[in-house]
Amino acid sequence: MDDGYDWLVSYLILRPLFLSIGDLLMSRLEEERKPFHIKILDRIRASKLLKIIVLLAPASIFLAIFFFSPFIIALMYSFNMFKQVVYTYVFVPRISLEYYIRLLDFPGIFVTMQRSFYYAIVTVILTLLLSYPAAYYIGFKLDPKYKSTAVLLFIIPFWVNFLLRTYSMKFVLHDEGLVNTLLMTLGLIKEPIRFLGTDLAVIIVMAYDYMFLMFLPLYGVLEKLDKELLEAAATLGASPYKTFLKVTLPLSSPGIIAGSLLVFIPAVGEFIIPMLVGGVNTTTLGTLIYSFFITVRGEAGWGIGSAAGLIYIIFIMVLSYLYIKLVGAEVQFG
Amino acid sequence: MSTRRDFLRVAFVGAAGLAVGAGAGYYIREGEVLSLRKRVDELLSKIGIELEDNLNIYNWTWYANLNLIEDFEKQHGLKLVYEFFEDLDTALSVIRAGQPVYDVAVISDNEAQELYQEGYLQEIDLDKIPNFEHVPEGFKGLEYDPDNTFSVIYSYGTTGLGYNSEVVDKPITKWEDIFDVDNPDSHIRRYAGKVTMMPDSGETLGAALIYLGYDPDSVNESELQEAADVLLAQKQYLYGYKSTEDYMDVLPVGTPYAISHAWNGDIAGAVYAADEYEVLIERYYEHLRYVVPEEGAIAWYDNFVIPANAVNINAAHAFINWFLDPVISAIHCITIKYPYPAGLKYTPTELKEDPMIFTPPEVWDRLFIGRPMTPEERALREQYWTMVMTG
Amino acid sequence: MSKSDVILKIYTILLLGIIYVPIGVLIVFSFNNSRNRAVFTGFTLENYYRLLADERVWSSFYNSIWVAIVVTIASVFFAILLSYAVTRYDFKGKDILDMLLLIPIIIPEIVEALTLLLFFIIIGIPLSPWTIIIGHIAFDISFAYLVIKARMAGYDPQYEEAARTLGADELKTFFRVTLPILLPGIIAASLIAFVESYDDFIKSYFTRPGGFSTLPVHIWSMASRRGVTVDLNALATIVVIIAIFFAYIRIKMERWM
Repeated sequence: MDDGYDWLVSYLILRPLFLSIGDLLMSRLEEERKPFHIKILDRIRASKLLKIIVLLAPASIFLAIFFFSPFIIALMYSFNMFKQVVYTYVFVPRISLEYYIRLLDFPGIFVTMQRSFYYAIVTVILTLLLSYPAAYYIGFKLDPKYKSTAVLLFIIPFWVNFLLRTYSMKFVLHDEGLVNTLLMTLGLIKEPIRFLGTDLAVIIVMAYDYMFLMFLPLYGVLEKLDKELLEAAATLGASPYKTFLKVTLPLSSPGIIAGSLLVFIPAVGEFIIPMLVGGVNTTTLGTLIYSFFITVRGEAGWGIGSAAGLIYIIFIMVLSYLYIKLVGAEVQFG
Repeated sequence: MSTRRDFLRVAFVGAAGLAVGAGAGYYIREGEVLSLRKRVDELLSKIGIELEDNLNIYNWTWYANLNLIEDFEKQHGLKLVYEFFEDLDTALSVIRAGQPVYDVAVISDNEAQELYQEGYLQEIDLDKIPNFEHVPEGFKGLEYDPDNTFSVIYSYGTTGLGYNSEVVDKPITKWEDIFDVDNPDSHIRRYAGKVTMMPDSGETLGAALIYLGYDPDSVNESELQEAADVLLAQKQYLYGYKSTEDYMDVLPVGTPYAISHAWNGDIAGAVYAADEYEVLIERYYEHLRYVVPEEGAIAWYDNFVIPANAVNINAAHAFINWFLDPVISAIHCITIKYPYPAGLKYTPTELKEDPMIFTPPEVWDRLFIGRPMTPEERALREQYWTMVMTG
Repeated sequence: MSKSDVILKIYTILLLGIIYVPIGVLIVFSFNNSRNRAVFTGFTLENYYRLLADERVWSSFYNSIWVAIVVTIASVFFAILLSYAVTRYDFKGKDILDMLLLIPIIIPEIVEALTLLLFFIIIGIPLSPWTIIIGHIAFDISFAYLVIKARMAGYDPQYEEAARTLGADELKTFFRVTLPILLPGIIAASLIAFVESYDDFIKSYFTRPGGFSTLPVHIWSMASRRGVTVDLNALATIVVIIAIFFAYIRIKMERWM
């Protein structure tokens, strides 16, 4: 039976390994007559709470130290609670809103925000439209024999480093680059289209660079789609169009949500692509925060940068929360 | 484009076998070089410096011959790390943050002075740099560091405009050509979308201030506001804010942009199609031009400095000393096309006479040299700069 | 095959072709003998010789690989524990935990990288390869968690229940039943985690110690060094060829089975 698990050969290779490790561990545990650590294991096994704690602790502790506390430091910094003395930073018990006020004084900040969201949303829509048909075809229509090959073929270009891919897109989109040459040879245009330095270039390159982040989750859900369900819909007289709209699309929405988030998040904070292929009016939140931290000097830059970063993060978090709530709810009803 | 290029591959082994394009009739006698090198080694051994195993260098893009530097690395058996920056703002913030740690950095005049005053630089021990004697008098004890306490000259130059004359038919002579957006005949209007400025606050804000007839280091709020307005008005006609690594490749081609706010040596490097492996004293891209605008321009002196948290201090001194070796400096100039004062003696006349590399005396009258600023003054300027970048 | 299927097929092949165009450009330019990387002037293999001789490229390549392996193992391990807890147990604050675990991938990397740098500097932790690894794990946990949790939630727990009814205890059930079923998810998560780390530029760039570069960081500095990217095109070409080679083996193996 094709249960959809067969697309990675490693599975087959590694399965016996995992089984034997499991066996080994089991036999070890059973052989020894309850030494101390087994007693602890027993107690963990017996108590649900302990189990949960043991499962959650490693990652929670790690994230608390290295993920959440940096933001607390940044929060403190943004309220001017550190003073720089050459290479060291001294804690000063004070709270000042100076950096926040200075941040809001920059006139371009709202335009920049708007622009970043515009890029990200367009990129999400573009990657979704581009990769959905392919993911649908590969995941659902293609002979299972060729699925893994097709997925591999889709992913290989993205094994090439992101920066190299972006540099290479510069050649493709150049005034005398591939696209323009092709279009001009075909006689579709007379003058080369200006891509580099425009919004269009930023969006095209982002869509290209992030497409696989949309493709993979889409493929993931479409591949698991129940063929019989769709056949049932067809038997009941639904047109293919209606089947797609009423059955396939709702069923694949977890993939769409996951893909959109995976693309949206890096896209909205992107700062390399606008820097490399963008022009004058392609400052994004990413480049802005970078320039606060790096260009604006000294304490002030880090302070304003922290303030901007935090506001930005909160904004994104609220937005993602709403997005998940909204779309997530629809999934349940669909 | 030029029709022919003659070049000879240079074997950089020991930097001794330097033979410069015979066609140009320039040649350094091997014996002289060897005796010089011997003297340097003697001096080093006399002082008895023991070098550390590592050396971390932080320099501008396209500013030194890395193959030659690898030679230094091999000679001294140390692990050398060489990293780049493209604008001073980034470099300064990295040095202030103290991470990553660098042992030698190349920083411009007043910014170096500011760093020193804030305690981010250590003093340089000139006794460990015998080659300092090869630095011409005019480059010792400059205004920002009269006793060379914390800085040793690296190179110098101007910030002007480079352009591709195959695309741009009328020569550019003034800042007005790229700032006067109200004149439909100006270059900025005629070549809209084909002009770039630097992503560097000091340079770009400075250029606008010079165009307006003010001091490029102005901290007068109304002047800065005017400059920001000029830059904002200009912005919609720009291709972007681009630096060395971008315009050096694009200008010779002339598309997507053909006019750049640029440093002299970068344009020279592009004109000679400079390569780290080859000695080129014949121009390759003749159609590239560099101008110091009539209204004036910013001149700068870049310096070796040693950050306060540097650890490989002997190696840092040895590296500076090595770089100031007249032959080494000359090879850097011959390949990279920036002027290195310590190498003047061995720099080919053809290059010395190139106004793109060595700024001619008549130009100096209209150049501005920066002054140190307080952190408050910097912050004020940054505010207007950020306004331009985000506007 | 219906008409719409044919259209879909053609579209998929076309899309696959298009995403290879930039890669093709890289490959072509890896044989370029021009010093100006904006124009192609002629064929040479010199870039490959230079690449093979360039220790720095190889050491940064090596760094990228080992960093990514450590990051992948750690984050997948954390993620398995987390997703097991979340999908198999009910506890207070589960929804909050779920949301918290999304944060590392929701927030923009540039902000995360810069705050992490600020944190290391203020706390006084010297930058080292481990600071890069820490930064990578922090967001890779979430990626791996999302994938593994989806897998874990996606299959019927009755397999586990059956195993337990048959007398296996929980640990045994986990190793004998859960893990094998989970394996495709784990492999997918590992791949994503590996690629995210291997390809990461922003975090590596800001939290690396002087002199330590991963491949993306090296590429960045090569690009700003000017004129030498051709070497990297050569490297990219080699990477693509290796990838295609693996894909080919994969196809061959499929035929045998």
